[in-house]
Amino acid sequence: MPDKKQLPKFAVLQLSGCAGCEVSLINANEWVDQYQLVYMPLVVSTASVPEDTEILLVSGGVRNDEDIYNLKKAVEKVDRVIAVGTCAISGGVSNLGDRDDVRQMFLAQSSRHHLPHLLPKSHPIDAFVDVDLYLPGCPPTPELFMAALIDPEGYEASGIVCVECGRKKLKDMRPQHLVGFQQGEVLPDICLINQGYLCVGSSTRGGCRAICTKPGHPCVGCRGPSDAYIEKESSVWFDRIQNVFERMTDIPPEEIKAALHSPQLSLFLFQFTDYSEGGRPPRPKDKVL
Amino acid sequence: MTILRFPLSRIEGHARVEMEIQDGAVVSAQFQAIEMRGFRYFVQGTPAEQMPVIVPRICGVCSTAHHVASVKALENALDVKPPRLANEIRELLLLGQLIQNQATSLFIFTMPDRVGASSIFHMEDSEANPEQQLSLAQRALKVRQIGTKLITLAGGQFIHPVKAIIGGVTSGIKAEAAAQMLKEMQDTITIACELFDEYWDMSMAMRERIGTWGDDQPAYYIASTGRSKPEFNSDTIRVLGPNGNERASFPPRLFREFLDYEKTDYSFAGKSTYEGEVLRANSLARINLTKTMGTPCADYYLERLTAEFGKPAHPILLFDLCRGIELVYAFERAIEMLSKDLDYEDTSVPYSLKDGEGYGMVEAPRGPLIHHYIIENGLIAEAEFIIPTVHNMGAIERALKVAGERYITPQGINLELEKAVGRVVRAFDPCIACATQ
Repeated sequence: MPDKKQLPKFAVLQLSGCAGCEVSLINANEWVDQYQLVYMPLVVSTASVPEDTEILLVSGGVRNDEDIYNLKKAVEKVDRVIAVGTCAISGGVSNLGDRDDVRQMFLAQSSRHHLPHLLPKSHPIDAFVDVDLYLPGCPPTPELFMAALIDPEGYEASGIVCVECGRKKLKDMRPQHLVGFQQGEVLPDICLINQGYLCVGSSTRGGCRAICTKPGHPCVGCRGPSDAYIEKESSVWFDRIQNVFERMTDIPPEEIKAALHSPQLSLFLFQFTDYSEGGRPPRPKDKVL
Repeated sequence: MTILRFPLSRIEGHARVEMEIQDGAVVSAQFQAIEMRGFRYFVQGTPAEQMPVIVPRICGVCSTAHHVASVKALENALDVKPPRLANEIRELLLLGQLIQNQATSLFIFTMPDRVGASSIFHMEDSEANPEQQLSLAQRALKVRQIGTKLITLAGGQFIHPVKAIIGGVTSGIKAEAAAQMLKEMQDTITIACELFDEYWDMSMAMRERIGTWGDDQPAYYIASTGRSKPEFNSDTIRVLGPNGNERASFPPRLFREFLDYEKTDYSFAGKSTYEGEVLRANSLARINLTKTMGTPCADYYLERLTAEFGKPAHPILLFDLCRGIELVYAFERAIEMLSKDLDYEDTSVPYSLKDGEGYGMVEAPRGPLIHHYIIENGLIAEAEFIIPTVHNMGAIERALKVAGERYITPQGINLELEKAVGRVVRAFDPCIACATQ
């Protein structure tokens, strides 16, 4: 066994999030013999990120001013920054609150004597620091974590979730309406779109092993758009999904359009630059795992 | 006035402890939850049916509990009763969560305290026996992975499950998949017991070294598990008095009549009380409430605990040992369930949306978790999340004060205090993301 203290060091900084990304990371164990985990408050008691740390994984969105401070301080110490999970990349589920009525409720308690000052909205981390690699997913699977840590260049994902799902697309099964996200018995082995579910796996980035669609839940797009769309505006991605449904179903276009803009999908839509922070250049696809 | 501030690690989320000291006496001990995301606000207007996929994101540690509680709240509002098989699969989901959580709390969060290490991944400089050290991290990860695998099998997605739906679950578990999981669990339960035995020994050694099991004053307990045996897909909350007698029993719908909630200015989480008394939730509450675990190995450990500490037991470091008993129970119970047919009927019943109000509860690893929704025009008009960590806030602060009084004297502050603060907080295994949402 190699001397542990010679192994490269990595750190994990959790901002405002659910810790699901961290939980996913500790579902993997391959890193234990290849890296030293030097900072990760969820599992290690160390005060700060040490100076000679090679990689910093950041999860969670920037929700308060302490998040900004901790993020900037940590990034200074490391060679490479990886943004992990939907919240760090786009603000994630918290972005559901990016509307006036909710913002008011936040502002009402944003400044309390003992507590960090809340920002009006959750920000992606690249609004404050440069990011070398994006690892989307809610959360990314342990395999994706290992690829990001150990060999990002050598990793090849399937283009879209459909490829990994393997449910059959049928020509003669054309639903008239959407059945909602959850309603009814799900037929095994048949494409969820054929069954009237609002599944966006046809243009969502692969690599998740289709863990939602295989057991019968439509893809909600947590890995964000595939390489074909990631550098474009979200409207292009919407149009593409719309086309898929118009080709495969007899559902009225207005119905599809309304459903695509429902809050649940918008959780993940904020992966697009035009949703999260206006005016930034798109994230280049070669930086997204 | 001297103010000591302790950052916290090896717990879920962002929190710290602040202790005020005057002339060698502890004036106050505050547990401050310092993050907030605001789920109760931003889910307003969400289509009700989508809640079970949104709310797991409150917390990646407790996601399964939120997923099931959410579905139960919606079913309660819509008057839907899921088939028996769906309930069995939901129980498996909750057992997976229990394994994952208790293994994490025991081996990753608190074991390092017992041997003076900063984490289970840094045991080389610790007091742990060198032979054990080598494999501790790998064995612990293996045990908790079984929990994740069980969640994946029963819930689809591995962190934020998707299979529980209004009216049931999306599918049963095929015989072949159940057999595969069963085999893995049978192979791993031995490792779980072995690790727990080592943990128990380390705990006894720590007790020798520090001379206390922590705050052992009598307390009230709250849990929603069964009286005769554990139950995690639960429907009745019970409150135990300090002598172990049941003081109240009520459905989640009536929680406001029994529990008082108070906001604090120093934390994004408030605290709850029962008749003005400090409450405790989590493993020790359940173990104090339940007669037997109903599975052989877990019952062996339960008898050992009761023989040594009596019942009800009050010292806080016993929360940790109780988690071990539940870890073993969850393995045994899941093995029992996976040995039977889990694909024998339709797994869901149809429903239609209507306006209404619903309460849904599960016994999460940290205690009774309630979701309360008001549905109007198919959308969530109001949502409320009653979080078990909030029931524990008063108990955490009381135990911190006890620790402060032990290590702070007019002569000075004993450096052991910082470690004691960590041990106290971790015994309660608080979840900050949940407590503040």
